[in-house]
Amino acid sequence: MKFHWRMPQGGERAGASRALQASLPETGLPDLDAQANFCRAAEECGIDSLLTDFGWTKPDPIVLCTALGLRTSSIKFIVAYRSGLICPTSFVHQINTLSAVIGGRVSINVVAGDSPEEQRAFGDFLDHDERYARTEEFLAVCNGLWDRGSVSFAGRYYRVENAKLNTPFLECGGGATALKAVAAPPHSKPALYIAGNSEQARQLAITEGTCWMQIADDPDRIRERGAAVLKAGKELGVRMSIIGGRTRGEALKNAYDLVRREDGKAETEFVRNSDSINVNTTANKDEWLRPWLWTGAVKTHGTPSIALVGSPTDIAEGIDAYHRAGVTQFILSGWPKLDSMLFFAHEVVPLLECGGKAAAFEHERVATVLT
Amino acid sequence: MSSAGENLRGAKARSAVSGIPNIDAHVRFAKQAEECGIESLLTAFGFHRADPIALAAALGMLTTRIKFMVAVRSGICSPTLFVQQVNTVAALTGGRICLNVVAGHTPEEQKYYGDFLSHDERYERTDEFLTVCNAFWRNGGEVNFSGRHYTIEKGKLNTPFVAADRTRPEIFLGGNSAPGERLAMKHADCMWRLPEPAAAMREKVKPLLDAGIEVGILVSLIVRPTHEEAVEATQLLLANFDGAPKRTHEEFAKRSDSVAFTSTYKLANADDWPAPYLWTGAVPYMGAPSIAIVGSPQEVTDALFEYRDAGVTQFLFMGHPDLEEMERFAADVLPLVREREEVPVS
Repeated sequence: MKFHWRMPQGGERAGASRALQASLPETGLPDLDAQANFCRAAEECGIDSLLTDFGWTKPDPIVLCTALGLRTSSIKFIVAYRSGLICPTSFVHQINTLSAVIGGRVSINVVAGDSPEEQRAFGDFLDHDERYARTEEFLAVCNGLWDRGSVSFAGRYYRVENAKLNTPFLECGGGATALKAVAAPPHSKPALYIAGNSEQARQLAITEGTCWMQIADDPDRIRERGAAVLKAGKELGVRMSIIGGRTRGEALKNAYDLVRREDGKAETEFVRNSDSINVNTTANKDEWLRPWLWTGAVKTHGTPSIALVGSPTDIAEGIDAYHRAGVTQFILSGWPKLDSMLFFAHEVVPLLECGGKAAAFEHERVATVLT
Repeated sequence: MSSAGENLRGAKARSAVSGIPNIDAHVRFAKQAEECGIESLLTAFGFHRADPIALAAALGMLTTRIKFMVAVRSGICSPTLFVQQVNTVAALTGGRICLNVVAGHTPEEQKYYGDFLSHDERYERTDEFLTVCNAFWRNGGEVNFSGRHYTIEKGKLNTPFVAADRTRPEIFLGGNSAPGERLAMKHADCMWRLPEPAAAMREKVKPLLDAGIEVGILVSLIVRPTHEEAVEATQLLLANFDGAPKRTHEEFAKRSDSVAFTSTYKLANADDWPAPYLWTGAVPYMGAPSIAIVGSPQEVTDALFEYRDAGVTQFLFMGHPDLEEMERFAADVLPLVREREEVPVS
């Protein structure tokens, strides 16, 4: 079981909706000290990786993770990126360079993009299905470089000839000696998280990925949809939020407070303009899928806000239910991010039947990071 | 920059050199460059090197004053994404990033990156690319562009270019061809030229200077205490090559469609000393940028001022090895240059 958390943006306002967040100009700038502190807290909490988003309101995640990787020692980074914005050879070049700089602590979350409007701002005019077809070609080229060291590819969207790079993906770094040791082939490759609830996303995870990340849904449906992925030897992951409290009542209050603050118009507008399958299939459902699984903040905070809500026991029950459904990786977030991460590591992880890397964390070390 | 810790890297076949950055060596070099009063370090682009943006981000985090001149080719990524990456590096390093726009060397390598355009088409695409980038940096607002190679609709970014003294990165552009010059006049702050004797450059750079564009030269440096020692150093450099590596660059020249690079090969074959301070003897072994200003500190200073008088105001130096040459330049040449700059031109 791997638990990942979402990296906070610079100037992030706890609980702010996606639309409000985008309107804050300071979210475009890295807040290196705060973000590095968050990274170190995550290291102490036993979090595996931090998901670093891609979008026009945010700094570039490859560059940001280069900086944060140099300020940390063990946390990994899941860099979110989209196909169609960069040539796959160059993308692999950047990721491999990053791996050499920070000792291989990087994996990739490839998304096809969920807003046609934003895609057009980056020069991408393809529709949903074509974006997936292109992402598949993109990853085929990337995997060719990682798996075979050289690739020729002639597809509908990409064409490269004899592509090769002298910068391999390096799993461990740390000084010239270590680099020499790993410089010889065969080389490693980063984990590839494929996000998206559509059939195309699932197929992509099976053919090119290492883990299919679904937006949270009822564990039974996650299991049903994910069976083929598990059968193909790939992992299942879920992207969701945590809204906890000492009691279920306190957690419910926290949940409803989150949406009461916001006017849902902007997000409704986003959903109307989105061509993403997960955005449109999760936005209008009944708010409670299970006693601990709440979708009520989707209209204001987007689909990643589908949350496990409740006491530590309730949330642990939820995690275990997903684990029984075949899920082995979670990308989590909460409001505020740091408090919810500490809550999860302190209160929830020790209760998990399925165990977890984070269980061994030390309270005192966490306290040191926070002061 | 990419040859830090690896002398004569340029003499090796590209397929034989490592692209794994040796961060410790790079940082030592960058810090020494800061001490030496160097303005910026070029981080070049190529399949045989580390990615220049990621490398500049890393080194920028580990240094305090030096700027990184990041090589950029069009056709690799969306201009919106490129501006986002550059602006993020700027935000992390206090604006210590500038750009060196290159068209690409060989069609063969361009194809690794999915680029199958011809030399002239690449210039056209670079023109569009820089138009979009500059629109982001100059407007601040929404960017719309519709061209042959790029279409951007309602482009916007929340990450501005942040620096103490600028709102956009300084743009350098390399090339000796006519399309390159037009491109520089339209988009760049400074155009890199490969060196010819200073007097021969004066007329050629005039249109650029008239257009308000600076001119710089991309040149190697061999400074020694005396003229004789400097000349001897050129021969010692040649002694490193025993025939074999020469082919590397002759092969390259045949495959290259860069006007700048092929014309320097012609110059190199004609005469090893086109001017008393300008030596082209290493070009067949180490490529066009190994054309060198050679001499004593005073001779090199005089040569730099000859270039300055011809309109050249920026110098992108290389040394073989870089570190030693940079230290000699800082200790022996730069003080003479700064002293002479104080004297008003009569």
